[in-house]
Amino acid sequence: MDSLDNITGCRGLPKGRISRLAEGSSPGAFELGLALAAVVSRSAAVAIVDFTLSLDPGNVEAYGGELDNCWLVRPRRPEEGWAAARALAKVGVALCLLVAQDWSRLTPSAAPAALLTALSEGGCAGLVLGGRLIPAALKERICLELKCWRLNWALAHGDVCGLRLEAQVSRSHLGAPGASCRLQLNFPRPYQLWVGLGELEELTEGEELGVELLRVSGGSGR
Amino acid sequence: MSRPKSPTRLACFTFPHLALVLALRAHPELKGEPVLVGGQGPGGQQVVVAASPAAWAKGVRPSQEWRRAQVICPMAVRLDVDPTAMAELRQLARLALASCSPLVEWGDDASAYVDLAGSDPLRPEEGSRAAHCGRALQEVLGATPSVGVGPSRFSAWVAAQMAVPGRVRLVPEGKAAEFLATWPVTALPLPPEVGDRLIQFGLRTCGDCAAITLVDLQRQFGPDGILLHRLCRGLDSARIDPWREPPPCGVRRVLAGGVEDSESLRFGAAELARGLAEELSRQGRAAGRIRLVLRGEGGPRLPSPADQQVWWGEVAPPAPLATADELLGPLLSLFGRSRPLTPVTVVELQAFDLVAPPVSQVGLWQGRAADREVVQRAVDRLHDRFGKGLVWRVEVRPGHPGDVPEERFVWSSR
Repeated sequence: MDSLDNITGCRGLPKGRISRLAEGSSPGAFELGLALAAVVSRSAAVAIVDFTLSLDPGNVEAYGGELDNCWLVRPRRPEEGWAAARALAKVGVALCLLVAQDWSRLTPSAAPAALLTALSEGGCAGLVLGGRLIPAALKERICLELKCWRLNWALAHGDVCGLRLEAQVSRSHLGAPGASCRLQLNFPRPYQLWVGLGELEELTEGEELGVELLRVSGGSGR
Repeated sequence: MSRPKSPTRLACFTFPHLALVLALRAHPELKGEPVLVGGQGPGGQQVVVAASPAAWAKGVRPSQEWRRAQVICPMAVRLDVDPTAMAELRQLARLALASCSPLVEWGDDASAYVDLAGSDPLRPEEGSRAAHCGRALQEVLGATPSVGVGPSRFSAWVAAQMAVPGRVRLVPEGKAAEFLATWPVTALPLPPEVGDRLIQFGLRTCGDCAAITLVDLQRQFGPDGILLHRLCRGLDSARIDPWREPPPCGVRRVLAGGVEDSESLRFGAAELARGLAEELSRQGRAAGRIRLVLRGEGGPRLPSPADQQVWWGEVAPPAPLATADELLGPLLSLFGRSRPLTPVTVVELQAFDLVAPPVSQVGLWQGRAADREVVQRAVDRLHDRFGKGLVWRVEVRPGHPGDVPEERFVWSSR
C-alpha cells in the first residue's frame, strides 16, 4: 500500500478524520477498503460497522487480515451503528470502517459530526465505503476522498489471482487533489508475489524483446 | 462452480552449467577445449561440478571424483568454481525466467522448468511464450538454451534434449506417448539395473515398454515399474516446485572514501538502523534475522562485486526486530564483531525471515494500538445498552461446514 500512502498527503489515512473510498467508473473501492482493513488488522484493532448486514468477514481474512483483531458491528438500527462506531473509535481502534449501500437513509444529521469528534479523541482513522450519493452532513466532514476503479484482473495459471486498481484523490483537505496510483491486490495464493512482479513486468514491456533468436519449430513432436 | 482447468504445459530449458558459463566467460580462449570446473562435494572431497562438451565426450560426468576425471581426461584444463559469482548468475537467470512466468522451478544449474499454462495476452501461443523465456535466459547467460514444451516434466525434458539449441521443440497435447516412443530406455531417469533388465527383455525404447501393461511392469520392477509405465506414456508429474524471491528488504550506504576502523563505522549505525526500520515499516514487517555486509575495495577498482573484499555477519535475536531502537543493539554488536580486511566503502544492512510485527505495525499505528481489554469493555457497554448481537467477533470454524459466513465462522459477542 506504499503507493497509496504516497498520494494521500499524510502517508496513509488521516487519523482523527473521515476518509471515503468512492466507486469510479467500475467497482474496486469495496475491495480496496477491505484490503486496507486487512492490512491494519495485522497489527492493530479494526472496527467494521456493516450497515449492509451482509459483509463476509472471510473477505478480510482473504486479504491476509487477522480476524482476531476485528470487531464486526451489525446494527439493527442506524443509530446503533453510529453509536458503536463512536464508542469503538473513542477507545482507540486504529481504523473504523463504515460500510453501507445508501448513506442518505442511514445518516442522522448529527451523526457524522459526533463521529468526527470521537475519531479525534481516539486518534482513529475513519473510512466510509459504499453508496454513490452521500448526504451533505457526511460529505462536509470527509477529509479525504479517493476514487477507485478496477483496471483488470491479474491472471496466473488460468486463475484470477489478484485485482488491479487505480485510485485517485478526488477531494482532499491535506493537499491538492488529482494524484493517482495503481495498485495490485494479490489474493493469498502461494505464488502471489510472482504474479505481481511478472504481470507488472508485462505491463511495462509491451513489446517483443530484442531480435527473435529462438524460432518455434513445427508441432509434429518427432 | 469452478472453471475447468487448462491443461498443464511445461517448458524445460537446458543450458550449459552455470559454472561452465562463468569459467568460459573468464577464459574465452578455452572455448572448444576440454574444461573441468571443480568444487567440493557433499563429503568435502573434490568433485567435477561441470564439464565442457569436449570433456563430456571423453566420458567425464558431473559429480565424478576429481582424480578419476583427471585419469579419464588428462588434457583437460582445471578451473575452480566461484560460488559467489554462481549465486549472482543464478539469481539473474531466475529473475529473467520469473519475468516471463510466475511459476519457475530452478533445476540443477543446468536446467529449469517454467509453467506456461497461464494466460498472456501478448503471447497467446505457448511456443512464443517459451521462446520469450528462452530469449530472456539467453540474454543473462550469453549461451543459447534448448527449449522443450510438453504436458509433463519428462516429455518436456526429452523435447529439450532433442531440440537444437536456440529452437523450441513442442510436444503436442495428447501426443506425449507417441513422441516418447523412440526414446531409449537406458536414458530414462531410473536405476541402471532397471535399464539393463529391460534390454535383456528386448525392450529398448519407451514405445516397447508402453505396450506392456502396468501390472506386468509392476510385477517385474516393483515401484520402478509404475514410474516406468508413467514415464513411457508421458503421464509423469506435471507439477513444479516454484521458486519465489524473498521480498527485498535492506539499506545500503556508500561511504565517501574508505573507512578503516570499526569504531568510525559505528557512528553511522543509528542512521542505518533508522533506514532499515523505515523499510520494515513500509512493508509492515519485522526482521527475524539481520545481516551486516561491509564491502571494501582492495587496490584498484575491480569490475565484479565478487572480487571486492567482503565481510559479513548475522544475528538472529530472540524476538523479531522492527523499530530503530530494537535494531540498534544487535547492529552495534555486529559492528563490534566486524573485521573488515580493507577500508570499507559500502555498508549494507539486510533483513531476513520477515514476519508480522509482534505487537503493532511499525510506525504507522505506533502508540495507537488499542488495548484489547479496553475495546472489549467498550463492546460490553454497547451490549448493555443495545443488547447482545450488535458487535461480533468471528473466528474460522474448523472443517468445511458451509459457504455462507454464518456457517463458516464461529460468531461470538465476546
